[in-house]
Amino acid sequence: MGAVVSNATKRRSSILDMLLASPIMGPLAALVLASIFFATQSDKFLTGANLSLIIQQVMVVGTLAIGQTLVILTGGIDLSNGMIMALASVLTTGLAVQSGMHPALAILVGLFVSIAFGLLNGSLITGIGLPAFIVTLGTYNIAYALVRIYTTSTITKLPPSLLYLGNTFNIGGTEITYGSVLMVILYAITWYVLRSTPAGRAVYAVGDNPEAARLAGINTKVVLTGVYIVAAISYGIAGLLLVSRTGVGDPQAGQTGNLDSITAVVLGGTSLLGGRGQIMGTLIGALIVGVFRNGLQLMGVGTIYQVLITGILVIVAVSIDYLTHRGK
Amino acid sequence: MSSAPGKVLLEMKGIGKSFPGVKALQGVNLTVREGQVHALLGENGAGKSTLIKILSGAYTKDEGEIFFEGQPVEIRSPQDAQALGISTIYQEFNLARNLTVAENIFLGHLPKKGIAVDWVQVKQRAREILDILGVTFSVDTLTATLSVAEQQLVEIAKSLNRQTRILIMDEPSAVLGEKDLEKLFEVVRSLQAKGIGIIYISHRMKEIFELADEVTVFKDGRYVDTRLISNVTMDDLVRLMIGRELKDVYPKRVVAPGTVLLEAKNIARTKLVHDISFTLRAGEIIGFAGITGSGRTELMRAIFGADPYTGELRIDGQPYKPRSPSDAIARGVALVTEDRKAQGLLLKLNITINTTISGLKHLCRYGIIQLSRELTLVKKFIQDLSIKTPGPNFIVANMSGGNQQKVILARWLSIGTRIFILDEPTRGIDVGSKSEIYQIMDELTKKGVGIIMISSELPEVLGMSDRIMVMREGTIVKELSRAEASEEVVMSYAVGSEIAAH
Repeated sequence: MGAVVSNATKRRSSILDMLLASPIMGPLAALVLASIFFATQSDKFLTGANLSLIIQQVMVVGTLAIGQTLVILTGGIDLSNGMIMALASVLTTGLAVQSGMHPALAILVGLFVSIAFGLLNGSLITGIGLPAFIVTLGTYNIAYALVRIYTTSTITKLPPSLLYLGNTFNIGGTEITYGSVLMVILYAITWYVLRSTPAGRAVYAVGDNPEAARLAGINTKVVLTGVYIVAAISYGIAGLLLVSRTGVGDPQAGQTGNLDSITAVVLGGTSLLGGRGQIMGTLIGALIVGVFRNGLQLMGVGTIYQVLITGILVIVAVSIDYLTHRGK
Repeated sequence: MSSAPGKVLLEMKGIGKSFPGVKALQGVNLTVREGQVHALLGENGAGKSTLIKILSGAYTKDEGEIFFEGQPVEIRSPQDAQALGISTIYQEFNLARNLTVAENIFLGHLPKKGIAVDWVQVKQRAREILDILGVTFSVDTLTATLSVAEQQLVEIAKSLNRQTRILIMDEPSAVLGEKDLEKLFEVVRSLQAKGIGIIYISHRMKEIFELADEVTVFKDGRYVDTRLISNVTMDDLVRLMIGRELKDVYPKRVVAPGTVLLEAKNIARTKLVHDISFTLRAGEIIGFAGITGSGRTELMRAIFGADPYTGELRIDGQPYKPRSPSDAIARGVALVTEDRKAQGLLLKLNITINTTISGLKHLCRYGIIQLSRELTLVKKFIQDLSIKTPGPNFIVANMSGGNQQKVILARWLSIGTRIFILDEPTRGIDVGSKSEIYQIMDELTKKGVGIIMISSELPEVLGMSDRIMVMREGTIVKELSRAEASEEVVMSYAVGSEIAAH
């Protein structure tokens, strides 16, 4: 304090500060380093086909994590997301295959049910003031039960229109699915909305301090309910991506969607306390998990060790984040 | 009342404590004797709480010495304080609400018989302690079901069980009604008779004269004087509390009040606020004086739509019924809250977001924020209000109090606020920034803005207000013009000793 600092030093330190302060720098560095490491371990890693595969592998969890990021930015958490996705996907496939409903209409029903669950989560949290953890734990179980009541067997023989997002197009010899592109577009839209609309600012404000946000003129209840609804739409879309990738309507799906999406959010540098984080961090977080799984697979490391390493990764990443932000 | 002076228990000499940018306490002396009630008196922010936090181990002192029974001691943690027999009863109780009275009294050191808790002994000893206090409720009562006054007694019982030699009571009467007050006094006197030294903090003069043997007065973090109660009058104490010179930090105000901006009629809020009527004119600053708990903040939150109220409000003669802060903001009303960090700022976010959060719709085109326009606006306010920061992306948590307050002011200025409610606008702010904030207030009124300022700093109230409303116990007890007001008069209405002052 009070010491004379030359302008050059000041400028350099402020640029450095900005880089360090940007919450996605850490995750991005981790992603690049991991990719370099796996590229040295396997010739197959850095091929277009493999990178396209990684994106396909993270596409479902990545899309679930969009909603999860919004919810966590407000200081909440959503345990129900994977089951909302599962419910939307079995309803859509079941109605299209077994009830002969037009696939487009079946998709709308799936999205509508997702939105209904988002509304239920949001209104219980804002209306009664219950903790998000409890409400979404409840709706997780409700959605799970509804899936199993609706069907216990896998729905197959889907019409091609439900598998459209799994189709590919070719860029420079690499096959890319439409689903991967959809996920990236959803991230881009979310990024823009969070950055450049009053609603996006309100999400951060409510997450930082709900009372201060209210006294600044923000209708916090509308913002929170809206976030749970928008999040649920992303879960419904994740359901479509899931169907396109697996080719079936699977009543067993989605059970770990909540924890997998929270992993991506946390690895992406978003604070579970709300108000701090970046949507693009989550995309990077999802890719980090995807790169590790894929790279370890190529190295011949078994699935269970991939899970083990993911666990260690989360703890290491959050420790680094905690240590760098502690005392601020 | 005043008994023969007992043996000296505690002696504090030249105690000082600084926080970044603020000297909270300087050169404080305090002597507490066995069986003595020693009152601490001073305005808000005078340093009383800092002193008791040092004594109870919540803060450590930077300067000075503490002696306990003549021996020099260091109090570095709450455990150190407890080992010396110093207990504190804060306004916020420290009780486990879902445990019984007996369990609370013994919390942390339940007596054991073998490996099991000796419940027979717990209940027996808890009963004995409650009997000393003349308490009739059962030791098996669930703490949550007790009244506030009864919970306070449980807190006192807890401290007795810890072999307390010195009991610090931080505004114990603030939470009590008239009826429970007598009971509290009885308990304090019985503790006194047991030889416990009591440090008693209160704003209420009547109480201090009824209970205390000695009183130490603080002002602006400094020790003023210690007097025997038998040798002082209320007037003396008021003068000691406020007797300082008005510094030349206040702009010379030339007031030409315009049309009526805000009209309040019979505003009430449950028990907190009642029968409030006043008008605010364009270009005017009304100061609301009063002690903590007089209902000023509660009144202003109601006017801002943050809490429900009854009564009638008008702006420009048109009905104004705010049901939320956003209603108030839409009508040009802004509230700068007392607690910047908890209720004003979005601490983890940057200056830009904090500045424009309430007026984003003015910066939008087709629902999209024009980021370059936003940046220009924020940069303009950084310059106009001379906010010290490396740039608009700086996180507000890392700014000084004065600069944080300017960010909040920028927020409301950026949307053309016409009625400013400022609750303790300069609390925790250094003198330089204070004076800048006064300048901003003065300039605003020249543009026809009306300002309501709540302040517990009398020089500020007197230096800035065109009219002064003194509140006590939820209502306006006196309106004073600038000419009529003096620190003595305002304070006497605020504490209810106006008879003595005349």
